Amino acid sequence: MYDLIIIGASAAGISASIYAARRRLNFKIITADIGGEVATSGEIENWPGVIHTNGIDLADQFRKHAEANKVVIESDKWVGDIKPARPAGGKEGNIFVVSGKNSGGSVFEEKAKTVLVATGVHPRQLTIPGEKEFKNKGVSYCTVCDGPLFGGQAVAVVGGGNSALESAIMLADIASCVYVINKNAYFKGEKVLIDKVSKNSKVEIIYEAKTQNILGDNFVNALEYQDKSDQMHKLNVKGIFVHIGQIPNSGFIPGIELDEVKQIKVNMRGETNMPGLYAAGDVTNIPYKQIVIAAGQGVAALLSVVDYLNRNH
Amino acid sequence: MIVKIYTTPTCAYCHAEKEFFKENNIAFQERDVFADAAARQEMIDKTGQLGVPVTDIDGKIVVGFDKSKIKELLGLK
Repeated sequence: MYDLIIIGASAAGISASIYAARRRLNFKIITADIGGEVATSGEIENWPGVIHTNGIDLADQFRKHAEANKVVIESDKWVGDIKPARPAGGKEGNIFVVSGKNSGGSVFEEKAKTVLVATGVHPRQLTIPGEKEFKNKGVSYCTVCDGPLFGGQAVAVVGGGNSALESAIMLADIASCVYVINKNAYFKGEKVLIDKVSKNSKVEIIYEAKTQNILGDNFVNALEYQDKSDQMHKLNVKGIFVHIGQIPNSGFIPGIELDEVKQIKVNMRGETNMPGLYAAGDVTNIPYKQIVIAAGQGVAALLSVVDYLNRNH
Repeated sequence: MIVKIYTTPTCAYCHAEKEFFKENNIAFQERDVFADAAARQEMIDKTGQLGVPVTDIDGKIVVGFDKSKIKELLGLK
């Protein structure tokens, strides 16, 4: 049986794994992918010690750093359930059964004394007509992945935070023009990004606009939005990049306490309501979704795991 | 066996798939759909969609880095 299973291999999970290796815990990482949303996040200029990098390179460095510490990373595995094998409150401490599916569909099951959930988030969808139908046919949730396909064409970005601003900046270098559709009257992101977007002559910002419809034939050719006086407008665009926030990957743990937006509730030690089960990174209710915060939180949770193992096992 | 992968330079899954090919000593041709308009059109003709990566293994098409499907087509365990 493992001392610990870490689920997820991005900033929180990898940072925790480096500390776990140095504490000589018997543990492994089980994960769908390596790098998670970091890998798809484009240019990165706020990770201390590295002035400029990008999501792919940072995710690669994460993997290499874990491997240098002989961390076992089992990827292409989707955890579907975590269950305590013994009732809580007993003298011996919990044991958890972690189960799920491998990429081929076969099932796996592992046991551990503790679990650290660092499963991150996935992009929120607009849930409007045409969105599903035109996914990968003009509608994308990853500008870094799919943006380069829209060279010289008109595109739209939907959203009002850092991800939307970064998307618009990247697309302005590729597309012929970029409409940014923001449902609010202001942007929520960093001032440095807002300035870059506002000053870019290829970008047109449309405030207080609700995206209502995505239209096309085989591929997207237009987007309809409603302005603040309820007037409908049509933009002829070939690409629509949706960056309207994230949804926590938290729906697979029966009995775990979530907040109103489905984030796992943790305290400052990374403890959840289930003794022995910890969480860290963007999947939790800790404010500010940043790589550096997720990394630090992963380490705090790991050190709490060590304390817990010393006390309970 | 001819393996082609349609990529963009910034796509993390494309990168992961190329790493996977290298680890398994699979020779592949890369078609950058950002730099090469003909490659872009070829990918659209083959798949009717705009997501990358797209993999063509002897004419069999996989959209996205679906490792188990790619392994199966390559005859890897």
